[in-house]
Amino acid sequence: MPNIERRDFLKLVGAGGVGVGAGYVLRESIKHPKENLIPHIVAPEEYSSGIATWYNSVCSMCSSGCGISVRTREGRAKKIEGNPLHPVSQGKLCAIGQSGLQVLYNPDRLTGPLVQNGVRGSDSFAQISWEEGLSSVANRLELLNAAGRGDRVAFLSEGMSGHLAQLLELFMEQMGSDRLLHYDFDHPHSLYAAHQQFFGEKLLPYYDLKNARYLLSFGADFLGSWISPVHHSIGFGHSREGLSGARGRFVQIEPRMSVTGAAADEWIAAKPGTEGILALGIAHHLVASGYYQGDDRNEWAVALADYSENVVAGKTGIPVETITRLADTFASSEPSLAIGGGSAGNHSNGVETLVAVNALNYLVGNLGKPGGLVFNPAAAGQASQPHQASLRDMLALAEDARQGQIEVLVINGVNPVFTMPNGTEFGEALAQIPLIVSLSSFMDETAALADVILPSHTYLESWGDSFPEPGVGIPTGSISQPVVAPLYNTKATGDTVLELSQRLSFNEAIPWHDMEGCLKEGWRKIFSQRGGRAQAGGFDLFWRELCKAGAWGEEARFEGTYALDKAVIAGIGVQDPEFSGSADDYPFILHPYLSMALHDGSAANLPWMQELPDPMTSVVYGSWVEINPSTAKKLGLVEGDLVDIESIEGSIRAPVYVYPAIMPDVVAMPIGQGHTKFGRYAENRGVNPIEILSSRVEEHSGGFASSATRIKITPTGDRVEIVKTGGNSRELGREIVQTTGESAGTSAKLNSIPITTVQT
Amino acid sequence: MNVSIVPALKALVPAALVVGVAFAGVLLGYWGNDTFSPDTSPVQPIEFSHKIHATDNEIPCQYCHTQARRSASAGVPSVEKCVGCHNEVAADKPQIRKLLNYWNNKEPIPWVKVHDLPDFVHFTHKRHVAAGIECQTCHGPVETMDRVRVKRTTDEHPMEAPLKMGVCLDCHKNFEVEHGTDCWTCHK
Amino acid sequence: MSILDRFAESWRKYRKPGYYDEFDYHWTMSIDLDRCTGCGACETACQAENNLPIVGEKAFSQGREVKWLRIERYWEGEYPDAKLRFMPMLCQHCDSAPCETVCPVTATYHNQDGLNTQVYNRCIGTRSCAVYCPYEVRYFNYIDHKWDSPLDQQLNPDVTVREKGVMEKCTFCIQRIRQAKDEAKDDGRRRVRDGEVQPACVQTCATGAMVFGDRKDPKSKVSKSINGPRAYRVLDELNTDSSVIYLKKVEA
Repeated sequence: MPNIERRDFLKLVGAGGVGVGAGYVLRESIKHPKENLIPHIVAPEEYSSGIATWYNSVCSMCSSGCGISVRTREGRAKKIEGNPLHPVSQGKLCAIGQSGLQVLYNPDRLTGPLVQNGVRGSDSFAQISWEEGLSSVANRLELLNAAGRGDRVAFLSEGMSGHLAQLLELFMEQMGSDRLLHYDFDHPHSLYAAHQQFFGEKLLPYYDLKNARYLLSFGADFLGSWISPVHHSIGFGHSREGLSGARGRFVQIEPRMSVTGAAADEWIAAKPGTEGILALGIAHHLVASGYYQGDDRNEWAVALADYSENVVAGKTGIPVETITRLADTFASSEPSLAIGGGSAGNHSNGVETLVAVNALNYLVGNLGKPGGLVFNPAAAGQASQPHQASLRDMLALAEDARQGQIEVLVINGVNPVFTMPNGTEFGEALAQIPLIVSLSSFMDETAALADVILPSHTYLESWGDSFPEPGVGIPTGSISQPVVAPLYNTKATGDTVLELSQRLSFNEAIPWHDMEGCLKEGWRKIFSQRGGRAQAGGFDLFWRELCKAGAWGEEARFEGTYALDKAVIAGIGVQDPEFSGSADDYPFILHPYLSMALHDGSAANLPWMQELPDPMTSVVYGSWVEINPSTAKKLGLVEGDLVDIESIEGSIRAPVYVYPAIMPDVVAMPIGQGHTKFGRYAENRGVNPIEILSSRVEEHSGGFASSATRIKITPTGDRVEIVKTGGNSRELGREIVQTTGESAGTSAKLNSIPITTVQT
Repeated sequence: MNVSIVPALKALVPAALVVGVAFAGVLLGYWGNDTFSPDTSPVQPIEFSHKIHATDNEIPCQYCHTQARRSASAGVPSVEKCVGCHNEVAADKPQIRKLLNYWNNKEPIPWVKVHDLPDFVHFTHKRHVAAGIECQTCHGPVETMDRVRVKRTTDEHPMEAPLKMGVCLDCHKNFEVEHGTDCWTCHK
Repeated sequence: MSILDRFAESWRKYRKPGYYDEFDYHWTMSIDLDRCTGCGACETACQAENNLPIVGEKAFSQGREVKWLRIERYWEGEYPDAKLRFMPMLCQHCDSAPCETVCPVTATYHNQDGLNTQVYNRCIGTRSCAVYCPYEVRYFNYIDHKWDSPLDQQLNPDVTVREKGVMEKCTFCIQRIRQAKDEAKDDGRRRVRDGEVQPACVQTCATGAMVFGDRKDPKSKVSKSINGPRAYRVLDELNTDSSVIYLKKVEA
């Protein structure tokens, strides 16, 4: 044994000890962290772990009413798909529909009732209980009702069909108020008015794109945001596949190429607001060339006398040959269809324009036929159609508020402070209302002005039903059911209204305890009206099957003949469009459009939608203004230059995007960004072009003429980087996207794919 | 001039000794952790004994682990399932009282996972049960365990232990499982 | 087989990992550019189904977005004859994939279903596969991604959540293919039928531009698509033998 000093020995022992400790800790650090297996307390009946449960419901992200199937795992919603059995969505769904999951699981959701403790509009909300919230609102309503001043209560809700709409009507009726307004920014008021004026129909027709051989679309972005994009996309796909014989063709007429314009066979730029004049030019040709041989052709000739091709060419900027060619093709294709809407309907002459489009369908004789305009039968569950508030109605509401005629305003599912232009001073008008109650699920610009917030469930947690409008040619309805248990201390709008009804003793007219009960009763009526009593299993079986399938429909078609009143023909005509701001001071026309990802701004708080590149420009997370290349060159602007867009109402600042398919004196901006309050993903991002739109009311429908604002552009000298996903937007000869002529055999490159097949 | 390095080396000996002893200590500590405090058999909140339930009382595996033949995960029985019997059976024993406490407080029992595969492994019980593989093949003789532990190499049964990928591949190769050696079968 | 044949066989197997003489299924997707409207529903569906991260604005500006399926847009011509064309671009699952040859650890190889696999736990993050891919459809996780709670409640449990340092790309929704095969096996060892399995993007495509199926089945919808006169492959001159076939856009 060697001689070791005590010190050295201790050093070695110490070193060894440290080593042992280090080794122990090292092994400990690479162990897996402990995971727990948490069992259920009571095993649920609805699902088993590891196996997905599917629920059918209805999407509420826009007003199309697509049926959805939601895949859930262990009580959590995982994926939304289209419901294959639903006549509107037929198993398909759009991007915004897919991101409904992020509405449900959004980190900025309101988790319980709130009361504003400070000055209105300040951020000093405090949490309260449902009892406190409901009783404070019920007390106020009770006072007004007892004093006979129930008409001082206004209810501003998003558009809806089905029994919730009926419930709101009943409630307001009991209150003695007729101030129930359903408000959607994108509601096509001018289309409804045009339909009423020309056909005398209250409901929109079914546009049978699927079977149309030649489609003329006047400004209607039917693949992007017009009425029911998923259903139209399905029809468009079928038409392209040539299932009805030959590949369908369509022409898009608008001043700025939309997503639909990109898919069109031909995109024609018409001066903003002149689309209707073009339609009448085509109609003129149809009558003058003898294509139209109806009994009333003399009346038509008289009405269309001012719309010869030369006059129309001058007003629209479209050459006479094009007009004639469009008219000839439209007349000789069978079936051909004309649709209109979008920006074309949002001018001062919007209704006249869409009446002209209806006239084209009449003249070419496609009414009620496949590939044409098919009238919709009455919806199944509706006693009446909810009154959709136009801009005129909203302005009247604001004026009533300023006059002190409204004491309580309940807001559900809409954000008018964001979607109303600054010129209407809507937010300021609300200041005169003593009590504002919001049922919003998020703290948006309008909810921030509320005194009491009673947050609603999201649509994935709520019972409801939907009768899609526009219909699909047959009466159809679907149930919206909760797919998960409610996440937070919120209450569905319907249940809140039912609770208030109970506290206000409206029990006789409104006897239901919850929305599920209300729905069942309503559907019981539908069931028995349709002769269902005789079926085995009765209503209970029907209800179960209905919830399982997610959709119900019947074969009934539109009953009735159609004859055009000669007085209507005489009234046909499209005035020149009017714009706000003089052409000298404001040389450009602003073309705002609903963005594919953010719609009217209601999807801006969804990160998936902020990260969805805009189809035409590939921009994410921001705003931009689209300018024609030659205009940009004249103004010395390149992509990314910050410019001020100024109208008579105000000014906003956005970076430039040089856009090859827009008219030289038109600039376009997407709607959706520019929130000041809407959660972390939406706030303080981009600008809201609605702010500077002039609040022009379209005369006939009362709707918002949102395409009628002139602006001027002032470069600021600053630049930002526009965040896009696309690199170079030109192929530069790489032939990545290959094209072929109509006769597909003449392709430049041969098919070089060897196909391996199974030897059978 | 020739200078020898031996004196320098000799001077380093003490330092080398310290380092060597420290290194030996690290190895000792590592081995000690593995042997004396392994995580192969964690302590559970309730001392549930499979021996009593599966061997003495002959309850089949799938009575509690109901999802094994239907789903990717075998499932852990709900508290209700335990209480179903233990409302009456042995209700006075301390462990059962713990169980009834959880039930009365409406709290789930926080079991500690013993067979914990990494998140990028997607194992599906359904296919293996359908192939007729016994639970004991991978989980060892659970019915004899008072506290669940991972399978040891000393346990009987054809499959090696513990649960590592090589072990899975052995079966997948030997039994010529369809697409058994494709990475994406388990690591999708 | 003669010695020379055996040698050639083992050389081939060595050079091309996962080399198969005959695929079990040959999953193929056809995308009709005449029907694609660029709506982006497929992008969002893929993001929802496959736990794609929310990367944030900064990552987009750095070119570090993760989008397994992206819509490319190409302008052609000038006003007023400007045209915009959309091209959905995803992993082409090339039979002669350049990415497979370069991976030093065989984290990517071709499997017996004709799919180009990416094994996350094997990947060491050299990123050479992304460089070799001519379609630029491989994405690297530069950071550990976070989901603001409760957005993480939406994550799909059938798909691995990738951490920092691994490559990822479109998998043709392998979890759905696996489930379809699982159900087919339950049904009695039959083959997966045409239309039973659809990746998330194909399922949601409203216009029906995307079709998915087994190329080995001559009666499947996708076989009919790719045998049509409009079929072509992108960057065909690189001989990657991709499994995503595009149908030419009709511009008459």
